[in-house]
Amino acid sequence: MSLASGPGLGGSSPDMLWADKHVEYIVSLDKRDDEYEYWLTEHLRLNGVFWGLHALHILGHPTALPRDDLIRFTMSCWDASSGGFGAAPDHDPHMLYTCSAVQILVMVDGVSVLDEPAEPGSSETKRMRVAHFISSLQDRETGTFHGDKYGEPDTRFLYNALNSLSLLGKLNLVDVPLAVKYIDSCSNADGGYGTVPGAESHSGQIFVCLAALSIAGVLDQRLKDDSKWADRLGGWLSERQISTGKGYGGLNGRPEKEEDVCYAWWVGTSLVMLQRSHWIDRPALRKFILSCQDGEHGGISDRPGHAVDVFHTHFGIVGLSLLEWSENKDGEASEPLGLEEVDPVYCMPRSITKALSRTG
Amino acid sequence: MRAPEFSSNTLNAISKLLAKNPEYYTIWNYRRRVLQALFNREGAPPANLIASDLQFLVPLMVQYPKCYWIWNYRMWLLDQVKTHLELDQAVQFWKEEVGLVGKMLTRDERNFHGWDYRRHVILQLEELQQVSMVESEFEYTTKMIRKALQNFSALHYRSKLIPRLLSERNASNTDRRKLFDQELDMMQEALIDPFNQSAWFYHQYLMSTLDCAYPAADLIITDLLDSDRQRYLEQEIERIKEILEDYDDCKWIYQSLLQYHADFAAYVSTPKDEVGQWLSELQRLDPMRSKRWAHVQTILKL
Ligand SMILES: [Zn+2]
Repeated sequence: MSLASGPGLGGSSPDMLWADKHVEYIVSLDKRDDEYEYWLTEHLRLNGVFWGLHALHILGHPTALPRDDLIRFTMSCWDASSGGFGAAPDHDPHMLYTCSAVQILVMVDGVSVLDEPAEPGSSETKRMRVAHFISSLQDRETGTFHGDKYGEPDTRFLYNALNSLSLLGKLNLVDVPLAVKYIDSCSNADGGYGTVPGAESHSGQIFVCLAALSIAGVLDQRLKDDSKWADRLGGWLSERQISTGKGYGGLNGRPEKEEDVCYAWWVGTSLVMLQRSHWIDRPALRKFILSCQDGEHGGISDRPGHAVDVFHTHFGIVGLSLLEWSENKDGEASEPLGLEEVDPVYCMPRSITKALSRTG
Repeated sequence: MRAPEFSSNTLNAISKLLAKNPEYYTIWNYRRRVLQALFNREGAPPANLIASDLQFLVPLMVQYPKCYWIWNYRMWLLDQVKTHLELDQAVQFWKEEVGLVGKMLTRDERNFHGWDYRRHVILQLEELQQVSMVESEFEYTTKMIRKALQNFSALHYRSKLIPRLLSERNASNTDRRKLFDQELDMMQEALIDPFNQSAWFYHQYLMSTLDCAYPAADLIITDLLDSDRQRYLEQEIERIKEILEDYDDCKWIYQSLLQYHADFAAYVSTPKDEVGQWLSELQRLDPMRSKRWAHVQTILKL
């Protein structure tokens, strides 16, 4: 799948969702491998497949990309010796792509390919080897996670680890209470979280920390015990919505920064997890996302007038799903867009994570 | 990627690839392996290899200041300094980084990677030299805030430095009060522009340290009495009301008044209809967050 941006620009009328165009746009990305930009975005290939596939699920077209091809491509990114997945075949293994790979396999109901032997004749399964790759990246002193054997730790990787290990049913391989303790050490006076202790709060980091707390099973209790914290953080997040100028309705990632479609997800889902998504103007955010669509060729851009790309197409669509379903729950349905429900914690279709929690 | 065949030609070829596409993380790893192999060969002193590699990164960092992999690779390179060089030389390398990251933050004073990197470098230098740099870092934040009073990244860093600064100074109760007063005064200066969101967040941080539930280890004033709390609240609320006289269309003013009223009702009492008026002004000025203000209304029983 190509992550090349364009050809179109976002800037559609803010009243309708061009669902079929987006499906066409995502499916066509597969056929652009002759472009120079295809090489330039190779480092994101497996993430790109995840974004495209997940957006298709939420758009109600889960089979628009061939299942066998998806499984074959995903497994071609697997490095048997380490157990991790790289961005593309022959790329080094990394937490970011390992998490995407597991999510893709679960979405196409193909995770059973990991139950084969890791190598011919090996008694260890691929699933075990993947899980060991992830668990080996936990710092057993602090509880946080590295992205690979060379890099610095980041709460982003901690979330990737808990997300994918729980999907694999192997959360027991890591020290979850220690990971929770680490997240707490990254918290700030504004209620938010940073990449490491001492770092500034950022919406992306708030999303990964809240979602990790949720997978660790401690978020609900905290919301009950400490509503002051939830109010403070919910307040900070709600201030991300821009109330003046051409970015009206859009969200930014930190104080005094510009709006961007992808924050509809990072901020939006954090507010949903805090049960405070009604603290922003949801119809205005929806309008902002819809105005970033390319109504002719499909795709969504970061803000109106910019080139579309699969990253913002994905986060725009899951953001719209989040808005639609949270409004529904609050009995404030605006005109339905007909999107499938997204799971705010896993960033996967709710129907799939629900089925997993029943069997797991 | 396979085990590298290493030579300085390989390094040059890799450099060309990375200059075109610095996001290509596998190539960064490949570069690491080539370098590690070169470290172990005779004739190429690690110090020179590392110095020229650090040099190679600078234009890339300027061109792609938000590329995670470049920052990450730079951290790895400097880690190599610790294993391959003598302590004195290693410290020299790390010290240069303080200058470099200072320049990066002058170009973009909110660069997230830049601030994270700065804290990382300082932490390493403190460990290597066994000295604290909290005073000079505190001064650095002062300088950055003086340049731009809305620099939330600098204000954030400052809030993290203060508890350490005070404890390392062995600050007396009087010193602590003095610092708290100075911080409040600085924010009053920043709030000459009451639309400065960052200044309000920092002001809220300062006020939150007056809360009885604030973690003891991070307190600014450690011997707070209820009478102090009352005095500070009266003083700050008075000052905010003064801003209100010139700006009745700035939501942040009402928001802060309501926040302090909610958190510290035990220390200052405000007539219910005045609080109600703040809230209705806020609802008028900020309809986007009307449900949040409805929640505040419930909490305050208005
Ligand atoms: Zn974005």
